[in-house]
Amino acid sequence: MKKKFMQVDGREIPLNNRLTGKKITREVIYYICGVILSMLFLFPILYMIATSTKSEASYAADAGTVAMFLPDFAHLGTMFDNYGSVLANYNIWKYALNSFAYALIVIVLNILVNGLAGYVMAKMHFPGKRLFSALIIFLIIVPVETSIIPLYSIVKIMLGLKKTASVLGIILPASISIFNVFLFMQFFSSIPKEYEEAARLDGSSTIGIFFKVVLPLSKPIVATVAVFCFIGVWNDYLWPSMILPQAGEGEWPLMPIQAALTTIQSMEGITTGEIMASLVITSIPIFIIYVAAQKYIVQGFGSAGLKM
Amino acid sequence: MTVSTLIIFGVFAAVFLGLAIWDAAASKKKIVKYKLRSSATAYLMLLPAVLLAFLFILLPILYSLGYAFTDYYLLTPNDIKFIGFDNFKNVFKEIGEKGTLYRAIINTVIFVVGVVPLQIGMALGLALFTNRKVRGVKIFKVCFFAPVVISLSVTSFLWLQILSPSETGLLNSLFGLFGAKPHDWLRDPNTAMLWIIILSAWQGCGYQMLIFTSGLSNIRDDLYEAASLDGANAWQKFRTVTWPGLRSTFVYIIITVFIGACRIMTQPMLMTGYQDHTVTLSYYMYTQGYSYRWVGYSSAVALIMTVVIGTITLIQRRAFREK
Repeated sequence: MKKKFMQVDGREIPLNNRLTGKKITREVIYYICGVILSMLFLFPILYMIATSTKSEASYAADAGTVAMFLPDFAHLGTMFDNYGSVLANYNIWKYALNSFAYALIVIVLNILVNGLAGYVMAKMHFPGKRLFSALIIFLIIVPVETSIIPLYSIVKIMLGLKKTASVLGIILPASISIFNVFLFMQFFSSIPKEYEEAARLDGSSTIGIFFKVVLPLSKPIVATVAVFCFIGVWNDYLWPSMILPQAGEGEWPLMPIQAALTTIQSMEGITTGEIMASLVITSIPIFIIYVAAQKYIVQGFGSAGLKM
Repeated sequence: MTVSTLIIFGVFAAVFLGLAIWDAAASKKKIVKYKLRSSATAYLMLLPAVLLAFLFILLPILYSLGYAFTDYYLLTPNDIKFIGFDNFKNVFKEIGEKGTLYRAIINTVIFVVGVVPLQIGMALGLALFTNRKVRGVKIFKVCFFAPVVISLSVTSFLWLQILSPSETGLLNSLFGLFGAKPHDWLRDPNTAMLWIIILSAWQGCGYQMLIFTSGLSNIRDDLYEAASLDGANAWQKFRTVTWPGLRSTFVYIIITVFIGACRIMTQPMLMTGYQDHTVTLSYYMYTQGYSYRWVGYSSAVALIMTVVIGTITLIQRRAFREK
């Protein structure tokens, strides 16, 4: 608790203000512990990245040595061969494109559908509003996860399992999120009325105000919702593998990348290095999102606390 | 099926309309008067959300309640018979005969009892560890958080390789250094659940670490100063300042981690398949409903599960509420 002493302004607390030998030792121990802990958390990831650069032979040769966690520098020329073969032979880029497409559509729909609902709940008066509020609270509290089988039977029977229909089955259920309605509602109610009133005097309609005034003022919440939608769609495994049919010979596959991992994994003759390369490729966009959108993700965590 | 959906929707709309009219009539006496035009716009803007929420959130909940009392077989949706409590009887019969469901319950309990303390303990430890204003702490945080970024399916496939039964697998080659023979960790009933617990805690605890960190940052610094002026040592400070300050964060975390742990399914599904020593409740429910297509029976299991988890969550909330 050294920093507490450093923050005591004006007051002198002599023992802790100088770098004594004991203190330096404590710092060093702290950093050593930190590095060891970090390695405990990182080693599977390092192993994944390292193995993705190796041929089956050098993977076997490295087993049991530190080289397990290091890329295959001995064979610089063939380091990215696994990536090449995963992209060329196992069509992973098609699955990745699918995932991007699903994510983009879901983001747009999610913001439109839940944003409009959140706006109505935050700003408009209409009969039945209290009912909707009660419904929103109820649906946020009830655990929905256990209803995946009924959801499947509904989607299957309503849409059939034809190709276009099953794509709708991916997109539509992901486009509604009661929690996002709640987030939008919270955010919109903090926007001062004057903005809307000014626009209304200019002759804008309610929907016009929503798109021209409210949404542009709400960039932080829109970004947060978009980021979480992307992560959600990209990482979803179970639902797509339930409702999407396997692609026939020569057809463009419909599976998003996570669900396709199972297929890739069980291909005949795939090497450990290639499996790891496909896992790395699957994780890269999420890593990029986390780094680029850190701010919005932290905001999202903050609002996750609201959920209680 | 589609007809019943329309009927349910009709009933819902009628009830809603009635309540809305009552609401409007009641409000006549108050200052707020509804304008027809703006009310219509409001409903129009709500429409997409209401339709989607009805179809994909409310209807599945209602159906799973209803299906639990029928013999719904997925391939014969037009031949659904009401069979009362037969599904529930079968559930308890399966438990009594120590069938797969019995194993699923045991495994889920093992997982929850193992992962909840482990994950929360790790998260709290890491949050306290990184709660210092020294250089490099941010890098540590990123390292601890990195596994959260990886999806559950990637995590499962990655650890499948790490725990690979061949002698070139990461774990076996490490133990091989000490002369141990290669071991099939995931097929051994004694170790499979243990490793699933470990990798789940590894993957998840960074998230709870961040929530604990934000909880810690809400504790005022002067409380610590006061404690140290009173001559409190680190443990006493933790007990008297940190712990009470983290209480509400802790309740939130324990409930969310508990509910998440009860739903475990992806890891056993991808790593071992439908095996007696790793099958969990969600996985059992999914297999009965999706692979074997017994939607009615699966819904009964889901209903029991929801009730049990909901009850335990309520008890937790009561137990940890501030006195």
